[in-house]
Amino acid sequence: MKLAVMSCIHGNYEALNAVLSDIDAQKADQIYCLGDLVGYGPHPNAVVEMIRSLDIPTCQGCWDEDIVEGLNACECSYPSQLAEKRGHLAHEWTNRAIHPEVREYLASLPMTLRQDNLCFVHGSPNSQHEYLLPSMDGFTALERVLSTEADVLFCGHTHVPYVRDLANGCLQVRVLHPDGVEREHQFSTPLKRIINVGSVGEPRHGRPNATYVLYDTDTAQVVLREVSYDYERTCADIIAKGLPLIFAWRLARGLEFAERADDPSHICQR
Amino acid sequence: MPHLIAISGPSGSGKTTWISQFLKAQSTPQFYVCPGLGEISVDLARIGYRFPWVQVIPEAQLKAVLADLPEQATVYFEWGFHLDLGSSFLAGLPCQRIAVLPPDLAQSEWHAWADQVVVGNPVAAPANGHLPEIWCTPLTGQVFDPPSLDALLIELTGGAYGQVQRMKGIFEMPSGQAFYVDFVEVLPGMEYTELNIPPWLGGRPSRFSGIEVVGWGLEQEAIAQTLIDGCLSDAALAQYHQHYQALDPTLDPVEEPLRV
Repeated sequence: MKLAVMSCIHGNYEALNAVLSDIDAQKADQIYCLGDLVGYGPHPNAVVEMIRSLDIPTCQGCWDEDIVEGLNACECSYPSQLAEKRGHLAHEWTNRAIHPEVREYLASLPMTLRQDNLCFVHGSPNSQHEYLLPSMDGFTALERVLSTEADVLFCGHTHVPYVRDLANGCLQVRVLHPDGVEREHQFSTPLKRIINVGSVGEPRHGRPNATYVLYDTDTAQVVLREVSYDYERTCADIIAKGLPLIFAWRLARGLEFAERADDPSHICQR
Repeated sequence: MPHLIAISGPSGSGKTTWISQFLKAQSTPQFYVCPGLGEISVDLARIGYRFPWVQVIPEAQLKAVLADLPEQATVYFEWGFHLDLGSSFLAGLPCQRIAVLPPDLAQSEWHAWADQVVVGNPVAAPANGHLPEIWCTPLTGQVFDPPSLDALLIELTGGAYGQVQRMKGIFEMPSGQAFYVDFVEVLPGMEYTELNIPPWLGGRPSRFSGIEVVGWGLEQEAIAQTLIDGCLSDAALAQYHQHYQALDPTLDPVEEPLRV
């Protein structure tokens, strides 16, 4: 079975359309979406309507949660004060633009989705806000996958796609028992894998193209797709809709609009 | 008799760099003048910070200082690209004329004006009199959130707010340090130089900092707003200063400003 997994659309309707066309051409059997349907981009309602109309199983992203619950970012969200101001402007704009039924839909999204030995989350199984960076400590990465009881963990949130194999997983823990005796326990795990699918609507890999992933459940083959689209149209809409103009410049260069994580050792407090 | 030298050339060609090589010598009194931008001159401040023995002359005091120069004095006039080479002030100045020009510029009004041509950076010379615009603002008292400053300088020099040919600025950091940042469109990267001045950890610095941008189609309001958004609040600045003073209690929280 061929799965298409996408994430982080961020109100970029042009990019979503291009990715859906590409998925169609690749003849995927099932699509999953890892959230962040809204935020930053100019068409949050249209994106949600499209996802709903196609009945794509979707989990809740951090922006989807923020639009429902309000902003409460951890310090890992923004690399600078300037970025934080821009992020807040985008949040205020989206909050005003979003339709009530769209907000209700975002509130109803689950944190995780499952299919057999696959688990789908936005950030990490702990939180939509936690970044699973590719350079994250191996123990922590393995713990995140094990906590889902799946073999493959699909995530987004970093906006930069990657595949990380956690082979020969071996966990050693030392437990101090109430009787004062310390005992060591060892667990070995079969191959686990983290697949980050990148971002459809707000790429951070230095190009404006959308990314998503095709996954073959029979062969475990991963194909990263990079899809070009008319990003200038999205840039024009960003400007026309009154979002911060700098978002258009940054989209054209594949740079983050505001949020970015740099520290792989940071544990999100959200 | 005082030695007067006027230096001109396109923006970014290397006028200040050329002058700086002579300012290191301290054997005779040296003066530096950079007319055209009034009190908001990054070059004037930078020369004052880098060469404290050089007397930098603000425009308002120029006539008085010129009238009373010591015999051994050397005065460097940096004559910006936006100033008229045929001005009566310059014409009446008994000076040596140096043009710092890009290597491929064969003919220009600078060639006709100069006594000597020095080969500088390969910048684009203004074509057909189409001069770039200059936007400058003082930033005295403002202290930047360092990653915000990085982001805005990357955007500014990357063309997010118009085509920037040249950018230079002096920026205050929460650590009390001040940096000179220099960008020339045709040269690789951006140059950051820590200024050799005492760290300022006692409130908002009253010494000069500021920015000059030269280019085309500059979105001045957007640049100004981005600069403001990258500056620290009083509370954040106080927190930073407390942090740095705790790290090094020998740091004097109150520093006297250098006069430039």
